[in-house]
Parts: sequence; structure tokens; C-alpha cells
Amino acid sequence: MPDLRLWLKVPPRRDVARRLLPAAAVVLFALVPAVPFFTDPWLRVFFLVGLYVVLGLGLNIVVGFAGLLDLGYVAFFAAGAYLMGILTSPQSPVDLRLEFWVILPLALLLGALVGLLLGLPVLPLRGDYLAIVTLGFGEIIRILLVNLRDITGGSQGLAAIEKPPVPGWQRIDEPWQWYYVILVTAVAVAFLSARLRDARIGRAWEAIREDEDVAAAMGIDTVKYKLLAFATGAAVGSVGGVLFASYIGFINPTSFTLQVSINVLAVVIIGGMGNTWGVVFGAFILIGVPELLQFRETSDVLERLGWLRTALDAPFAALDALAPFGVWRVPEPETWGRLVADKRFIIYGALLVAVMVARPGGLFPSRRRKLEFEAPPPSEVAEPSALAAGGSQ
Amino acid sequence: MFLASTSFWLDQVVNGLTIGSMYALIALGYTMVYGVLKMINFAHGEVFMLGSYAGFGVLVAFGGESIAGPMVVLAIAAAFVGAALASASVSVVLERVAYRPLRNAPRLAPLITAIGASIFLQFLVLDVTGAKASFYPRIFPSGSIEVGAFRITYLQLFLVGCSVAMMLFLYIVVQRTAVGRSIRAVAENRTAASLMGIDVDRAIVTTFVLGAAMAGVAGVLWGLFFLQVRGSMGFLPGIKAFTAAVLGGIGSIPGAMVGGYFLGLAETVGREALSAIPGLNFPNEWRDVIAFSLLVLVLLFRPTGIFGELVSRRA
Repeated sequence: MPDLRLWLKVPPRRDVARRLLPAAAVVLFALVPAVPFFTDPWLRVFFLVGLYVVLGLGLNIVVGFAGLLDLGYVAFFAAGAYLMGILTSPQSPVDLRLEFWVILPLALLLGALVGLLLGLPVLPLRGDYLAIVTLGFGEIIRILLVNLRDITGGSQGLAAIEKPPVPGWQRIDEPWQWYYVILVTAVAVAFLSARLRDARIGRAWEAIREDEDVAAAMGIDTVKYKLLAFATGAAVGSVGGVLFASYIGFINPTSFTLQVSINVLAVVIIGGMGNTWGVVFGAFILIGVPELLQFRETSDVLERLGWLRTALDAPFAALDALAPFGVWRVPEPETWGRLVADKRFIIYGALLVAVMVARPGGLFPSRRRKLEFEAPPPSEVAEPSALAAGGSQ
Repeated sequence: MFLASTSFWLDQVVNGLTIGSMYALIALGYTMVYGVLKMINFAHGEVFMLGSYAGFGVLVAFGGESIAGPMVVLAIAAAFVGAALASASVSVVLERVAYRPLRNAPRLAPLITAIGASIFLQFLVLDVTGAKASFYPRIFPSGSIEVGAFRITYLQLFLVGCSVAMMLFLYIVVQRTAVGRSIRAVAENRTAASLMGIDVDRAIVTTFVLGAAMAGVAGVLWGLFFLQVRGSMGFLPGIKAFTAAVLGGIGSIPGAMVGGYFLGLAETVGREALSAIPGLNFPNEWRDVIAFSLLVLVLLFRPTGIFGELVSRRA
């Protein structure tokens, strides 16, 4: 008797879960603007989170899939944003009157091209060089943006960047509309990256990441695939830049510093390399929470923690009463949120170290990553205990 | 401007050597750590910055601007010692916390902890100082030596002299002492060195200490010369010193020295030469672009650097 499930083309049970869960999550996310509790400020924070999900998924292809450390991801983000700015801002010398929807594919190409140009000299070399060259390149881009005044508007930047038009309707401007734009983009990028991961190219990346020499010996053109990973990630970053420029409507070089690269890297590493949900979670924790901490509502909630402040402050207060000099005191609870938000980069730095040492796969490692980072190093595999176990798994 | 006076170009050469000697000192730390661990210590720029702050603290403790007479010598010597100690201690902690647990991990892992440590230190100092710069006391005697068109200030002479002395000292330590021999053995082959009875951990820590001490002293020299310290000051010198190390051939100590001077000269003399070409506008900030372009060019055409062995390709 033929298998009914096969005949009906029902995927095996585990696959249903793997497809239904993301779909359910997307539906849930799509309902968010309908909840009255999430006012415009919330939706703006969610847009930012979504933007970092897009950027994180892009960098994830480079760092998570192919194992290449890119410390200058901001360069591609800036390339897209400035492409949008230069082509639509009335302050730029270029007057082509192109629309958002035309620029978006252009940005995809530009990002890939910049990625290829930067990757070509470095990718045939060992990974460490890529890290430092991209780190320097991110800084060079910023210097160029400030100094090429005629095109980029220098440190003044470019204003009045166009919003995306919707045929037969208005231009996208409201926070809830932007929320859907970023949601659709993030889902598209997530879908694409999952497809790439499972395709031939994704397996090639994985092989390169695990051991480049073995991959090369297996006939994988490592330089080609590394370039492809780099260019794909760059293209996604560039698209993120177009969205950002159009959403903000005004760009200048201060939006494109090393800190953006750090943010994206932290989102990917701390969330969990190679894992889409890890990136989503990482973006929410590292990008969303610091913004939410600065909300008025948050300080209203924190205000009720006066008792905790008193308890924590007691030793300092006692010391202050005795010591002849001023002693540091625990600040008022309503300022705690802003304090944590202000110190976020210190926390990111510490978290990067802590996560790598304690949980190298990230908080939510992909199954593969977990195997790679938590397997014993090769030198320990051949120890007698392994032999005694009969070499079985 | 194109055929400016000889003295102008000689000034540029002296400036290049001055800044180059600081790059060389920092580059030594990168190259030595790369030699033994085959990793880029991204936090080295921050180690340099912390050394600069420590030296600043010592100078302030000695009285800041009011230091005069023979006390200047003592204060600067104390600042060197303080900076070297501070940088070395930070580096030892870094090695212990961020690098040692990952020595057998995939290559990506220690690179990420290194960048994490770098971010942590930089933003911690920026937070404590409120992102404001501190100003080194202007205590070094001004004045200069002039021979014909050649002119060098006492401070520049001191800087170059100190760096060369430090590098010679390091070279002797690495080449002629038992400690140096163990470092070279570990760089050659860690397993074999450990089988020969060398304490690998100790050799690695010593490498970090030596490199960090050099960076700390470079931090004090930087402060004496540029008179400003700030939390973000380690970033660009860090990248440039790394460039210098690659230029010279990463892993090679003489290479780091030569690379440092080469980069210093390329940045000053090279920039002036480029901006002397009529019609080519080359503002001062583009110095950084020169260093970076050099790095890419070297990686493209001679990834082994001037003195390097073939380590940059995958072995």
C-alpha cells in the first residue's frame, strides 16, 4: 500500500513543525501594530530591531555560515544608505529622480560589488587579515563620507531623502507602515538565507568554515565561495542601508561609525552564529531593550524599586556618613534604565568575551555550530578514553 | 610647493621617523603575539591607550605642569615604569580571561574575544572619562638641534632614541636569553617546545608582557608628543601598528621595527609628496587612507611582508 503521507505530499512530522513555527511567528509579528498598547514609539523601536535583524542575518551569512570575521559591516550599510541619499536627496549634485523601488535592486548590486572589491585582495589570505582589513575599511568609508563633500554633503550629510511610494496610494511614512516594510524584508532575508544555507553553496560555506584545507581538498573553490559569502552579506547590508536612509530621511557620517559594526556583530555572536532565531533574539535584547529602557514607562516602573535602591545603597550611605570625602551612591532607580543603555557597549564587549568563553555557540547556537564549538579539539580525540569506548559515538 | 625647500622635506622625514618609532613599538606587540599564538590581538591598541593613561596618572602625581629641573627625568622614567606595569597587567589578565580558555577553539573564537575585550576596554575608559580628552603636562624641554637644513627637536630625538633603545633591549631579550629562547621555541612549534620541557603558558604570558610593556611606553611617548590622551586613541594607532607589522612581515621582530618606520615615513613624506602634485587635493585626514591602502597593497602583492616567512597563506 502506498504511503498516504507521501501521496498527499505531506512533509514528515518534524518538517511540519519546522515550517509551521516560523509561519506562526510571522503571523504573530504581523499582528503587533494592531495591538493598541504598541504605540508609535514602540513601533519605531521595533523597526530598529527589525533593521538589525536584517543586518544581522546579512552578517550571519559571512560570520555564521562561512566563518569569516567582518568587522567593517557598516561600510556596506553606508554604501546603501548613501546610494539612496545621493540619488534622491535634493542636496546631492546627482539629479536622476529615481524612486525607492529602482534604487533597492541597485543597492543590492552596489553592495555585492563593494563586497567583491574589498574581498578580492583579502579573501585568498587567512581569516585574521580579513578582520583587520574590514576594520580599517569601515573607518576609511567614514573618512571618505566626511571628506567627499561635493557628493556626500560632508559632515552635514544629506536631508529630505525620499520615502518609498506605493502605486495608487501614498508614500510610506507612518511607523506602522515602516514596521511592515522591515518585517517583510526580514522575512525575505531569513527565507533566502535559510535556502542558501541548505543549498549546495551553503554546504560549501560550512565546509570552508569547518576546515578550509579539507574543503579545498574536496574540490571546493574556497576563494570563490568565500567571495560569494562576502558579497551576499554585503548586498544584504546595503539593502538595510537603503531602508534606513529612507526611513530616517536624513543621513550624515555619524550614523555610520564602528559602533554599527559592533552592534551587528554582537547581535550575531551573542544571539547565536548561524541561527536565524538567535539573530532575532539578539537584535531584540541588544538593540531593542536599550531603547525600551529609555522609555518613560520604564522609568515609571523602575521608580517603584525605591526599596531596592535603599537596600543596595545602605553600605554606601553608611560609608558616606563616616568618610570625610564624598562616596559614590547608588543612583535613583528611575535612572537605571538610561544608565544601562548608556553603558551598552561596555556590556556588549564583556558579553562577547563571556559568551565566547562560556557558550561559544552563542545563546541560541545552531545545531551545527554547537557540534563545532563544543566538540573536543582534535588533539584530545585520540586519547585512550576515546579508544576504550570503542570509538563509538 | 612642489619643489619646497630641503628643510621642509627633512622636517617631514624627522616627523615620519618620530611617529614611525611609536608605530614600531606598538607593532612589536602584535608581531610577537602573532608569532606565538597565530592570532591578532585586537585589544593591543587599548593596551597602548591604557599605558598612556597610566603614564598620565604618574605625571600628574609628580605634579603635572609644575615638574621642572632634574625631576623631569625622574617623572618621565616613573611614567615609563608605571605605563609598562599597567599595560602588562592588563595584558596578562586579558590573556588569562579571554585568550587562554580558547587556545584550542576554532580560529574565529579568540578573534571575537579579542574584539570584545577591545570594545570593553575602550568604552569603559570613555565612560569613566566622559569621553573627554586629558592633557599631558608640557614638561619636556623645548628647543632643537639644527645642522644646516636639518632640524630635530629634543623631544623628537628623545622619542626616537627611546624607541630604538627599547627595541634593542627587546631584541637582545628574545635572541640572547633563556626566556627569549623559550618564546622562540613556542613560536616555532608549541607541542615540540612543551615536550622539551618549556612551560608554554609561561612563555606565552611573557610574550604578552613584553609586547604590552612596549605598547605602554609607546603610550607615554605618544602623550608627550601629541599631549592628548582619550579613550578612543588606541584604535587608529592599533590598526596602523598592525599594518606596520604586516608590512615588515608579521611574526618578525626586525620586520615590525622596519615596518613601523616605513609606515611613519609613508604617512608624512608620502602624504606631502602626494599633495605636492598639482591639482591633487590631499587633506591631512587622508593620512589614514595611505596606511590602509598600503596594508591592502602589501597583502595583495607581498603578503609575507619585507622580512616575513610564509605565514599569511594558510599553512
